[in-house]
Amino acid sequence: MRIDVSDLTKTYKGGARALDGLSLVVPTGMYGLLGANGAGKTTFMRILAGLLKPTSGRVVIGGHDLATAEGRLAVRRTLGYLPQDLGVYPDLSARRFLDYIALLKGLHSRSARRRRIAELLEVVALSDVADRRLKGFSGGMLRRVGIAQALLADPRLLIVDEPTTGLDPEERIRFRTLLSQLAGDRTVLLSTHIVDDVAQTCRSLAVLGHGRLAFQGTVSELVSQAHRQVWTVTTSGPAPAAGRVVSALPEGAGMRYRVVSAAPPDPYARPVEPTLEDGYLALMDGRAP
Amino acid sequence: MIASLRYEFAMQLRRPSLWIVYGLVVAVMVTVLDYWSLDLGVYEVSAPKEAMGVAAQIVVTLLPIVYGCMLADRLPRERVLRVDGILDATPSGRTARLIGKYAGVCAATAVPLAIAYFGRALLYVFVEGQPSALGWAAVTFLASILPGLVFVGALAFAGPLLLPPMVFRVLFVAYWFWGNVIPASLMPTLSHTVFSATGEYVRYGLLTPIPPGYGRASAVLDFLRPGYTPATAWLWIGVMIALAAAVLSLVRLHASRSES
Repeated sequence: MRIDVSDLTKTYKGGARALDGLSLVVPTGMYGLLGANGAGKTTFMRILAGLLKPTSGRVVIGGHDLATAEGRLAVRRTLGYLPQDLGVYPDLSARRFLDYIALLKGLHSRSARRRRIAELLEVVALSDVADRRLKGFSGGMLRRVGIAQALLADPRLLIVDEPTTGLDPEERIRFRTLLSQLAGDRTVLLSTHIVDDVAQTCRSLAVLGHGRLAFQGTVSELVSQAHRQVWTVTTSGPAPAAGRVVSALPEGAGMRYRVVSAAPPDPYARPVEPTLEDGYLALMDGRAP
Repeated sequence: MIASLRYEFAMQLRRPSLWIVYGLVVAVMVTVLDYWSLDLGVYEVSAPKEAMGVAAQIVVTLLPIVYGCMLADRLPRERVLRVDGILDATPSGRTARLIGKYAGVCAATAVPLAIAYFGRALLYVFVEGQPSALGWAAVTFLASILPGLVFVGALAFAGPLLLPPMVFRVLFVAYWFWGNVIPASLMPTLSHTVFSATGEYVRYGLLTPIPPGYGRASAVLDFLRPGYTPATAWLWIGVMIALAAAVLSLVRLHASRSES
């Protein structure tokens, strides 16, 4: 399911501009959306989910124009949405919560609904605790309930907003793997500020900065943004002043710094292969005013 | 709509505070207002229709306060729990969900009130041996109590859109006594008008005769206090339903404006 976004702008009451002329094409498959906090990712996701109206611009999802009520309804019928700040009814069990959402998504046949909920509880590994109240669930378990509710109506479009924030490393890996497995012939739009989540799951991505499109392409294209701009410097003196320090590791009596910089930050700096994080930082630094 | 009604009903009904608060107020009714006594000193004790009318009057004096206060946090609940994003992203209509939620939580919140009322009717049947009391209790509940609950439910449901639930609850209790309980001669009030939710127009206009000695001194806003007749009973039912519909329409309008 292809998403076409043209010249999308969102200005909130009070004048804050979250999106500023964003144009973007999202193809079928797993697609990453990177950006710093406040870059406009959540606003963009909420517009795609039909929860916010844009100030101007056009969004067409699978041929349905979000500007019309019919278009929004058609998209909601094919949409699975996991919001950034996921909430649940604490007094319902996971099974009952999913049953409620399934009813709202139009799964009216009781037997089909039960079957689908049982399948999804299995997929997210919550079958054992399905009848426990949600108020006793950990953050990771709630995220998995969230992904289960998003998948209830077998959506063609899955929008997940910062899904791994607050999860421990094991949960994060499990969650990323699950999302990758789900992609298949779906469009899965993964919004995050954690570069590693995109690096491990997506082939294509877009980067937002200050509500504008900073980059659109493949992961390797973004990595190449930092080509010949990543260096390691080992020194017992102060950190290199030039460029951006990505990491600092103690080594012997000194420190080994990894630096993204257009020019060698130190006469003894050695060039190294860039990662996606380096590419992202090089891109954002190159765009910085 | 049915999904929201069903789940909101279940969630509200399983709320422990609902039963605790109702239980405390019913305890006050039993001990202070002599609610379980069959002879309430107004009519002949052996007249079931009248006995059910008096029970209704006692029930609507205090229990709607609990009813309104327990409803006051339901509308903002989705936002507070941050479930609204998930619900709004489903293809279910917002209007249908709103009506389902209103009907579900109001019905659940009215269950303890109905138990208190019909419990007394059952006691009456066993002691007086008059099963017709159950029929009269049902008629009185539907015609004289339910329309008031429909309106008060909408009011308490919508109020927290304007005020925090705790502040609204305090004002709601003040409204209840001012607009429904205090004598009209005491101060300008909506008590005993067709806007009062206590159901006396149906009780005295349709069901039972006006009790002996139930006189009304002239008061401000008397033009809103027509005599008790079948026509004014139906007028009162219409006013309650119309007010509820108007309040719910405003809630939907508010939600539409908040969507952007």
